[in-house]
Formats: sequence, structure tokens, C-alpha cells
Amino acid sequence: MQILDKLFNRIVQRVNINLRELDFDITPFAGELIPPDQMIKFYAFYGITPDHPLDLRFDNSALAGSYFLGKCSIENSLLYKSDIRGDELKRKGQTFHYGKFDITLADDEIIAIEDSALIKTLVHNFSHDPETAEKFFIKDTLAMDYSNIHGAPSDGCFLGPFATVDLTTMRDSAIGAYSYVQAGEISHLNIAPGTVWVNSPGNFNFLYTYPVDPLAHYVSLSPENVPWGVLFDFIEQRKNEFQRVFDFVNLEPIASVPETASLDRFAVVLPNITIEDNVLVAQRAYLENSFLGKGSNAQENCFIVNSHLEGLNVTAHGAKIINARMGSGTFVGFNSFLQGKPESKLKIGKGCIVMPHTIIDIEEPLEIPSNHLVWGLVRNKKELAENSISLEQLSKIDTFFSQGRMHFEGQGNLFVKTFQDRIQHILDANGAFFENNNNEGHAQRNQNLSLNTIQPFYFGEKKGMYPSIKICP
Amino acid sequence: MNDHSVCHTSNRKFWPSGGSMENHSVKDLMIPISEYATVVLGTSLADALDALEKSQKAHTANKYQHRAILVLDDNGDIVGKIGQLRALKAIEPRYDFNDKIQELKKYNFSEEYISQIRDRYRSEEPILDKEALKIIARKKVEEFMQKPKAGSFVSEQSTLDTAVHKLAAGRLQSLLVTRNKKIVGVLRMADVFSVVFHEIKVLEN
Repeated sequence: MQILDKLFNRIVQRVNINLRELDFDITPFAGELIPPDQMIKFYAFYGITPDHPLDLRFDNSALAGSYFLGKCSIENSLLYKSDIRGDELKRKGQTFHYGKFDITLADDEIIAIEDSALIKTLVHNFSHDPETAEKFFIKDTLAMDYSNIHGAPSDGCFLGPFATVDLTTMRDSAIGAYSYVQAGEISHLNIAPGTVWVNSPGNFNFLYTYPVDPLAHYVSLSPENVPWGVLFDFIEQRKNEFQRVFDFVNLEPIASVPETASLDRFAVVLPNITIEDNVLVAQRAYLENSFLGKGSNAQENCFIVNSHLEGLNVTAHGAKIINARMGSGTFVGFNSFLQGKPESKLKIGKGCIVMPHTIIDIEEPLEIPSNHLVWGLVRNKKELAENSISLEQLSKIDTFFSQGRMHFEGQGNLFVKTFQDRIQHILDANGAFFENNNNEGHAQRNQNLSLNTIQPFYFGEKKGMYPSIKICP
Repeated sequence: MNDHSVCHTSNRKFWPSGGSMENHSVKDLMIPISEYATVVLGTSLADALDALEKSQKAHTANKYQHRAILVLDDNGDIVGKIGQLRALKAIEPRYDFNDKIQELKKYNFSEEYISQIRDRYRSEEPILDKEALKIIARKKVEEFMQKPKAGSFVSEQSTLDTAVHKLAAGRLQSLLVTRNKKIVGVLRMADVFSVVFHEIKVLEN
């Protein structure tokens, strides 16, 4: 048996050992996950910038098509087309506030991946765990296609396709396909597919669970098949455009961009795109025939197609907006899928918050009034009435309410404020409010980045594995 | 014996006046299996309830009527019990109802919220309709019987304070009484309570 296979089997066993109490066996899902031939098809690459520490360590790992930035250590792991983005890690001497604690960092924070397999996974942000402020660990974990590990250290976990764990330390837990979890800390939980859970103990608790059959149309996972559904098809149909971006060392600029805006060289931009002032387009964003108004930002892995974004719009990691008109200041959360029709655009009013992992796929003309919170599955007016509430109404809730498949307990005004503060912070950090040389953010600090590639063994028992390498300035 | 004492059938001993609890065994208070309604695996709920009714009529002397049905396997060994709560749970037509509510607990919702939601679900969907009852009546006892679990057994030689401890610690309505690993009777909480209550009264006076 090749070293690559042995390594993968070892990882699968380690995850299964961690999940034994949940009686959760990942073996059926792992079978078809990594075709060994693919592991020699793609090179791995890393970024060099003047703004982030360069400290990369690769040991006994396979890294096909993956990207690394900042301080990362990868050991006994298998990464396939994953994005390990250490650009927001905490730095030595910085103070991290957590509850009543002010934690001063003794060292630059590191993303440390051990004994894990990550498939097309985005690892981003920084560890929000006060117990390991200097180490964003991912250990004994299997993450499937398009999952997001966002500021979420993980030990002994499984993430299904399109699962997101956000600002939460997770241990011995299984996160089902298309589930979103933001709960601070979880342990020994088996979270069913299509669960959207935002819990801030003592403040608020939001829970929505997708109906099983309709969700399967968008994201499906079964032991016999590779994952499938509308969301997979949508990305698959556009993968050649990404290939072009990564195949060439230098690309001609294809859109005119104002000086105050930033368009990443590794974003896909297809005609006709208008980018206004203070716009930030991250790498691996996909833009086609759309208007991005002043101060908007398009985060990694998002898709914006045939749409008009008025301005100050946040399109979070993995969100997809197709045939839509977005009013100013709308927020579209992680992995949401918003699809109107060419002849009948989906209209979302200003100030709306589209919860992470929301699917709006219209069967009839649909307009979401301004300043509403929307969640779950919305295909028509009836489902919109069930899965939305005005922010004003939600702010008045101070005990609990439930609507359709959604449960809410706690302070509605705190929930709204927390979201709005986070949106403001994202816009501010990305330079959306830049004016007269004030309020500079990522869009203005043109990210000077060069890329290097590394190659795997092409022959012999180490085929597909990468040499052990340490890269320092 | 005064009004608070336990009513007994002939094959059980009376609680001796002046005796102390710890000197007496479970055997004194248990109800032998022969007095219980028993059914075999594969019996329908309707037939099981029929058996209970007959058994109750046959033992009318007992103040606290038997309300449980014991389920026996092919060897005549007890493999389960159906109390009133189990029978009521069986007639809830929404089998996933409790599971859904339990999920909320997993996601940190408060008891207060969960109880509110439980009431709402219940009011939205009446649990007893004729069609549902007809279906339930045909269900087999093994689908909803309570299987004996560790901690629900007590030897017939045990003292009553051991039994009190087991009932309280396990939050049980009754214990299965064993002789040489075979179940020979049932010790009911109501009977144990009456004895303890009687003892307290004697001491107070």
C-alpha cells in the first residue's frame, strides 16, 4: 500500500476513535473522498507578503492544490484544494480580549493541522479559544468539500460538505452537511445536516433545522456516492474559470478598478463587472456580469452573478448571489445560496440580514422588505413569511418565540446588535468607509503578494506525498 | 392494623407491630407474579389491556389495584413491563414528538422554553383520535414495554431500607424481586410508602 493510502486510513481511524461515543462512523463517507490520482495533479502554493510572518512547516503530508499563508504547520495530514489562510492570526505582543480576561500573546499564533484530512476546506480567521490563544489547532479531523473552519479549533471532529463552524471550539463532534454552528464551545455533539445554530449562552439562542427532503435537492450525502446536489453542480459548472486563474503566473488585468478598491489577482472576473470605490474582492471570489457598489465586499469562495449590489454589501465566504438586486448594507452569511431568475430578479431590501446557510431559490417573484432577518429555506411568499422577521420586531423579543421550524430564546435586541456590530466591523476592517485618507482598510492596503509553488513526489511509494519542508524568511 | 396499613392477600405476611423496618425483608411486602396480569411477547396492546382488566377483577381485595402488565418470553421469564405511563406514551400518535423536543435540550434551550413548546405542539395536534387509537391497539407489547434495567432488581432477602434506597436512587415506581436470579414478584412503591408511613406514625405516637 502507498504511503498516501496508509496516511488516509490512519486519519480515518483516528477520527472514528474520537467519534466512537456518538457511534458515528466516517468510513462510508471517506471511501470515495480522495482519488489518489488527483493528489499528483495539482501543485500546492504559498504566499509571501511583507505583512505576515512567513513560517511554514510541512511534514509527512499531501497538499494537492492547497494554499498557505502566514504561520502554518501541517503534520501527518492530507489536504486537497484547501485554503489555509493565516492572514488574520493574532500576533506576538497583541492582547486578545475574552470575557474578563486580557490575554497577551507570547508568540505569533500558528494554524497547526495534525492527523487531519481537509477537502476543499477554508481555514480562516483566528482561534477564539482563550485556552489556546497562540495555537489554532485542527487535529484528528475530517472536513469534507466546501466546509468552513472559521476561527474554530477542532479536535476529533467530522464536518460534512458545506458545513461551517464559526468562532467555536469543537471536540469529538460531528457537524452534518450544510450545518452552521456558532456556539463558543461544543463537545460530543452530533449535529444533524441542515442545522443552523447560533448560541450565545445567557444572551440568545437561535435554531433552525432544514426539512430533510428539500435540503437534499441542494446538498446530498450518502455513503454510496460522492456528495451531490444543486450547490455542487453550481460550483462544478464554473471550475474551469478558476483553472485559468491558477494556471498562469501573470494574468492581464481584466477589469478597471478604482485606486481605493482591491481586486485580488486570484479572483475570477467575467464581463461585465463594475467595481466602485472601497470595494474589496478576495481571492477565489467569482464575479460575472454584476455591479459592486461603493464599499461592498466579496469574500473568498463567494459567487456574484448577474446581480446588482447597491453598496456596503457584505457577501460572506462561500455565499452565492445569482440574479438578484441587493439594497445597500445587506449582509449575506456564509454558504448562503440566493437565486432569482433572469426575468424576475430576487429583490432584497436595504439593511437585510440573510442568516448564514440560507437558501432563497425563487419559484415566484419575491421581494424581501428592508431591515428584515431571513433564514432557512425560502422559495415563495409563504416560506418567506415563515422564515423572516423584521429587525424591529425581533428587537422587541425578550423571552422567546418560535416561528415555523425556527426557535429563538433570549434577547432579540442583543441578537440584532451582535450581527449589526459584526457587519460594521467587517466593512470597517475591509476599508468600506475610506474617505479622504481616513478609515483605511484591506481594500486600500493593496496586498502585495507573490506566490511560490511546491510539488509532490510523482513516482514511487511516496507518490502524491510532499517532501518535508520548512520555509522561513 | 389501622387504615394506613397495607392490605394484603393471604400469602403475604403482615407488617408486625413494633418491629423495625430493617429487620424485615422485601419478601414480606412483595406481590407474587401470580397475582399480576402477564402476557407473552407478540401480544397486542388491546389484548394486554384486556388481561389487565381480568387480573384487576380477580384481585379486588387489594387497595392499590395493579396497574402494570408483565411481559414474559417463551421461557416464562419476565422481559418487560408496561405501566400506565408506557401505555399512554404508546397512544401518542406523533412518535417523533418527544425526540424533537429532546433535540432542543441538546441545543441549550431552557426547560421553560421547552415546556412552552411542548404545550404548543400538543394544542396544535390533538393526540387522541379514533383512527390513531385503532392503530395503536394493534401494536405489539414489545414495541413500547419497559425493559428491566440494572438497579431495578432486588433480592427477596433484602431489607426494606435497601429497597427504599433503590426506589429513590433509581426514581422507580416498583422493583422486580428475585429469588436465585429468577423474578418472583414485584415490590411496589405504594406498598413500601405505606409501611414507612405507618412506622413514622408509630414512632410519633
